Amino acid sequence: MKPLPAPAGPASRIAPQPDARRSALTPRTLAALRLLMLAGVALSLLAGIAGGLTRAGVALPGSPDALWPGRAALAHAALMMSGFLGTVIGIERAVAVKRRAAFAAPVASSLGGLCLLLGHAAAGAWLGVAAAIAFMGVNAVVVQRQRAAHTWLLLAGAGAWLAGNLLFALGLGSAEVLPWWFAFLVMTVAAERLEMTRLMRRRPAAQGLLYAVLAALLLGAAMPALAPVAGGALYGAALTLLALWLAVFDIARRTVFAHGLSRYMAVCLLGGYVWLAVAGAAWALAAFGMPVRNVALHALGLGFIVSMVMGHAPVILPAVARVKLQFGAFFYVPLAALHASLVLRLGFGTLDPSLRATGALLNAAALALFAATVLGAALAWRLRHGAASLRKTS
Amino acid sequence: MPLLDAPFPYAGPEALRQPVIDALTRVVDPEVALSIVDVGLVYGVTVTGEKLHVLMTMTSAACPVAGLIVEEVENELDAIAPPGLLIQVEMTWEPPWSPERISAHSRRFMGW
Repeated sequence: MKPLPAPAGPASRIAPQPDARRSALTPRTLAALRLLMLAGVALSLLAGIAGGLTRAGVALPGSPDALWPGRAALAHAALMMSGFLGTVIGIERAVAVKRRAAFAAPVASSLGGLCLLLGHAAAGAWLGVAAAIAFMGVNAVVVQRQRAAHTWLLLAGAGAWLAGNLLFALGLGSAEVLPWWFAFLVMTVAAERLEMTRLMRRRPAAQGLLYAVLAALLLGAAMPALAPVAGGALYGAALTLLALWLAVFDIARRTVFAHGLSRYMAVCLLGGYVWLAVAGAAWALAAFGMPVRNVALHALGLGFIVSMVMGHAPVILPAVARVKLQFGAFFYVPLAALHASLVLRLGFGTLDPSLRATGALLNAAALALFAATVLGAALAWRLRHGAASLRKTS
Repeated sequence: MPLLDAPFPYAGPEALRQPVIDALTRVVDPEVALSIVDVGLVYGVTVTGEKLHVLMTMTSAACPVAGLIVEEVENELDAIAPPGLLIQVEMTWEPPWSPERISAHSRRFMGW
């Protein structure tokens, strides 16, 4: 075959994407908002972890006069759910729709997290409500672009976040608020997995089954005030049934036989589904008075949700933060540390409070190790591909 | 003229057909370990005297990685396209992607 002319192209010959929107904001304002959003995410995560450790009985170093540790312990769930995860998911969706206005949601939720830490609890809570309203708008744009089962589910998940944030702002307790916050996260994951299942041959009943399970989840979330036992049992059963649905229908069952990053993502997903099943069983048992509420919350929040975060970070971070990562087997180390420390905390920790505290501390260490792994992977990519490639892809 | 045996409709110089297919096949969706060509995300490629135009889609409008995949498509095409050719990647949601677009060997991998 006749050789083709030598490739030449400077990157400038690539036509700009037509959907890149201009903003009325100045570059300086945009930079300030970006900084505020990142500070909100990072501080919500760090303070959320510190607050969680305090609640688990771990004594943290620092000044006894400082006010933030107490606030972080009180607002642990709000910081993790809205300030951190809500903001991260908001950024992810805003990047997908490619509209700067869509960043209003993550800016508001990150600012809400900062307000909670600074002692402005009401302002923080209502900023969460504003964030969820904006996020519903962003998801409405997604539905408008693609009317599909998974985009409607994403919108419904955003509605669950709004419900949780509204109840939180109105001063209701964790029994009423947490089911909605978790429903937001669980439905977001379920919607994304439903979309991926289209790559596999799917039994006709699969989609209907998922709708039934998620409807039960929402019904269970709405019931605590009226019928706490039935509501908790229904919610827990829905979580476990969702884990079964994912285990049967998700592509992870196939991609776990692939290599590299694809296999790692599948391992994260499948491990997360096991914790989702555990969380569901514990949630239902807690509704009947068994002392396993802590198991339910952390099997769900750390075992399921954080596994999803660890699995998707190597793909999502390059897209949202413009940081390329060199994937390697080392990514399995923080993942294994997370799951092992959860077994210690939620398994043996139910028998011995000191093991529960040690497990919580090791959970935090696993998260720190994951952050170090991501930083190392970013550095490794730069060393391997050099600054020229970075410029080309930035 | 579109070629029936190509994984997507291609119109342009014959010498560029295989390099374009190879370049697009190198762009992999990491979650599913399949190339964008195998998933059926490429709707067509047209090469004229001045422009190499790719029409493609995504499986989800909520996918934050779409921008990154488009960027990889542009970079892979930039590496094989002759000098002076403008590279344009256009994203569309019509017609919507459907599983029938998945290639035969990818279907086998996914257990169809």
